[in-house]
Amino acid sequence: MTLAPPAEAAPELPVAASEVSLRAAGARASAGRTPLWLVLLGSLAALAASIPLVYLLVRGTESGLDRIIETLSRGRVLEYAANSLGLAAATTATALVLGTAVAFTLSRLRVPFPRVWLLASSLPLAVPSFIAGYGWLVLVPSAQGFVPSWLLLSAVTMPYVALPVAAALRGASGDLEGVARTLGRGPFSAFFVATWPQVRPAAIAGGLLVALYALSDFGLVAMMRFPTLTWGINAAYSASFDRAQAAILALLLVVMALLVVVGERSARGRVPRGAARAVAPRTIGRGMLVALLPVVAAAPVVGVAIPLLGLTTRLVQAETLRELDVPRLLAAVGSTVGVALAAAALAVVLALPIAALGARYRGRLVSAIESVGYLGHALPGIVVGLSLVFFSLAVLPVLYQSVVVLVFAYAVLFMPKAIGTMRSGLADVPTSLVSVARTLGDSPLRAWWRVTVPLALPSVGIGALLVAIATMKELPATLLLRPTGIQTLATELWNRTVVFEFGAAAPYAAVLVLIAAVPAMVLSGIRSTAKEEL
Amino acid sequence: MSDLVVSGASVTHGSTLAVDDVSMTIRSGELVALLGPSGCGKTSLLLSIAGLLPLQSGSISVGAREISRPGRVVPPEKRGIGWVPQEASLFPHLSVGENIGFAVPRGRGRADRISELASLVGLGALTNRAPNQLSGGQAQRVALARALAPRPEVLLLDEPFAALDTQLRTGLRREVAELLRAQGTTSLLVTHDQEEALTLADRVAVLRDGHLEQFGTPEEIYQHPASDWVAQFVGDVVELEGRWRGGRVTCALGAVEAAAVGFTPADGDAVRLMLRPEWIVPRHDLLAHAAAGADARVASISYAGHDAMLSCDLTTGLTVRMRMAAVDLPGVGDDLRLAVQRPGLAFPAVA
Repeated sequence: MTLAPPAEAAPELPVAASEVSLRAAGARASAGRTPLWLVLLGSLAALAASIPLVYLLVRGTESGLDRIIETLSRGRVLEYAANSLGLAAATTATALVLGTAVAFTLSRLRVPFPRVWLLASSLPLAVPSFIAGYGWLVLVPSAQGFVPSWLLLSAVTMPYVALPVAAALRGASGDLEGVARTLGRGPFSAFFVATWPQVRPAAIAGGLLVALYALSDFGLVAMMRFPTLTWGINAAYSASFDRAQAAILALLLVVMALLVVVGERSARGRVPRGAARAVAPRTIGRGMLVALLPVVAAAPVVGVAIPLLGLTTRLVQAETLRELDVPRLLAAVGSTVGVALAAAALAVVLALPIAALGARYRGRLVSAIESVGYLGHALPGIVVGLSLVFFSLAVLPVLYQSVVVLVFAYAVLFMPKAIGTMRSGLADVPTSLVSVARTLGDSPLRAWWRVTVPLALPSVGIGALLVAIATMKELPATLLLRPTGIQTLATELWNRTVVFEFGAAAPYAAVLVLIAAVPAMVLSGIRSTAKEEL
Repeated sequence: MSDLVVSGASVTHGSTLAVDDVSMTIRSGELVALLGPSGCGKTSLLLSIAGLLPLQSGSISVGAREISRPGRVVPPEKRGIGWVPQEASLFPHLSVGENIGFAVPRGRGRADRISELASLVGLGALTNRAPNQLSGGQAQRVALARALAPRPEVLLLDEPFAALDTQLRTGLRREVAELLRAQGTTSLLVTHDQEEALTLADRVAVLRDGHLEQFGTPEEIYQHPASDWVAQFVGDVVELEGRWRGGRVTCALGAVEAAAVGFTPADGDAVRLMLRPEWIVPRHDLLAHAAAGADARVASISYAGHDAMLSCDLTTGLTVRMRMAAVDLPGVGDDLRLAVQRPGLAFPAVA
């Protein structure tokens, strides 16, 4: 839901002539109307993606209105809800301000090594929040409650705002701000009058991701003992096995997440794009540079450097290395990579028909299918996990606590990442190339195989990789759904951290950083520098 | 060999009629230019011949084989019609050689066919290159070779030279026309460039707002346009008001012999006389039989190297433009006696 529309093809020919050919291409794309088989496949995929939400609605509402009202009015529940909302609001506000400031500094002011800073600003995304929390707790065991959770979550989620805003700033006209200055506005006033409206949609879309992240985060708040709804859901489920209460709390969390999504849709708005001229970064004085350094460095230091420092100090202690259970670590690596690959494959299969529909066809049905496909974006992991526990118990008891349900949960949760990249990859294959292949004797299927598939393959690969990385970092759904006897790196880390065995947890955290966070860093580095070059 | 016959073809784009009842026959081996301004429907007509757009009415056939009529379209891969699109549209994931060989079946002789075609378009050494390493002209050559590879009965070229710079365009299009003639391929070339259409094509079809305005040899189109719109579209014109009298138009240049186009004027009717600038010449260039003439003074000269366009003020106060070879040009302010060296075109006066 934060995908930028694919860049318009820049016509080099006389405008009217290329308009004709573009219209011709469009007409060809939709000439046969939306193919029925593709709609069927897409609907099936969307149906699968909707299972967790639909089944949660069934389970959450079947206990009756009285029970729901009674549960929701308990003091603990109100506290959880207030904590979730407060944390989400504070984190979103902080990430918005900090992310916008970082984006502005890096794209509009002349700073040394701008590329390095941009890359550093994207790094916090790669570190799972519970690893950041773990790293801090190792160094500062007293870091608990609202304030540490809020600050750390803000640092980790800041890139969701900074990266899209930096991209929007590059596309925005900087002349307007100069015009505002010459008309008598001060620097801040000029920014808000001229530049902010142009980057507002990007900032708000990023803010949505931050709010959803904060609402659905489980590992970090649980480690820092700040009881939010996700924590309450897990407690209700695992401590008392009070299934109905857990379902009602999950429903409350979903409603909050969906309200955030709806609110973002109505607040985002659109910017009409003028012809943007590249703006040369403004030179600033040394004093100003020094003053801005903490702003730009805050998130990478708090969200990445300090946690990794904590992790490393604990890892290299002799005691840690002596207690290391290598076979157990390798088993966790194996199951982590195994479920991640399976989840990536399933997510790509489910996402493919939806991405193919979205890339080439329009219409109500198509956008409905797409929206359902993106549902996982708004669903907290713990909610999907809980709902699938109920679903498998009630509908497919054979599969309860099987790896199939676990992989399915990952696929639903992270399918939006695959849909997003594959959709734009498919849409970037020019229809004219397919037409050329047809005139050269290829049937539609053969042309698809020889032209569309090879050209779209890299985006399928990136989509699969994104899903695999996200899967390896997932914690709450894994805790609820993992089959007995299977431990992933995330659950091993979790099990040790909750009993304060920080030393024993260190190897798992380190390997998780190596196999999940490092590829994520590389990938986000590639993507942000690729965007930079556009 | 087989002709390409388009009869009564109409094509719609959404709610607008892009091609409206066009009929034309392209004879086997002929190179026909489809000429018209932007948005006149020429690309739509081309795409419907390629089988990429459906027909609203009419039919298209190659020889005895009907390939398009409303509700029935032989798919593009079964038509034997090649297509060179506007931007070369090479497959970016394939090398030059693989692009050329896209439609050549695997097996023996494939490599030979590819290198034969590559050298045919003058790119023999580049078959291992990636498309993004080619210049615009080279990419168009590859697109042409790729389309020729399966030996299509008909080849469609959609403004293939439009994106190239002028000098490259002139050379490449002459080369391509020679190549197509040598191959004996029936070709339809879409262009909005009059000069391109007139210099390359055996016959030119002029399209305007989806209608076929005129279909004829370049000379017919230029010297005997079927309407004043075609006359103005395919070249420069000099327009003069005058009166019709017995096959001549009396106007500022005297009584100029003329042919009435599309109507039959009566003596004394007001008409518009249209001349090409090069039909007006200094009197001394003419043999004695040239009739009409008028005195003029050279007001300005626009020099273009090989020829020049002169603006001449007539004694009656009008200004006419004439084009002459840039040899022994008169100077600005010189007096000339002008005459018209061939019959002009008479159109109804604008009400």
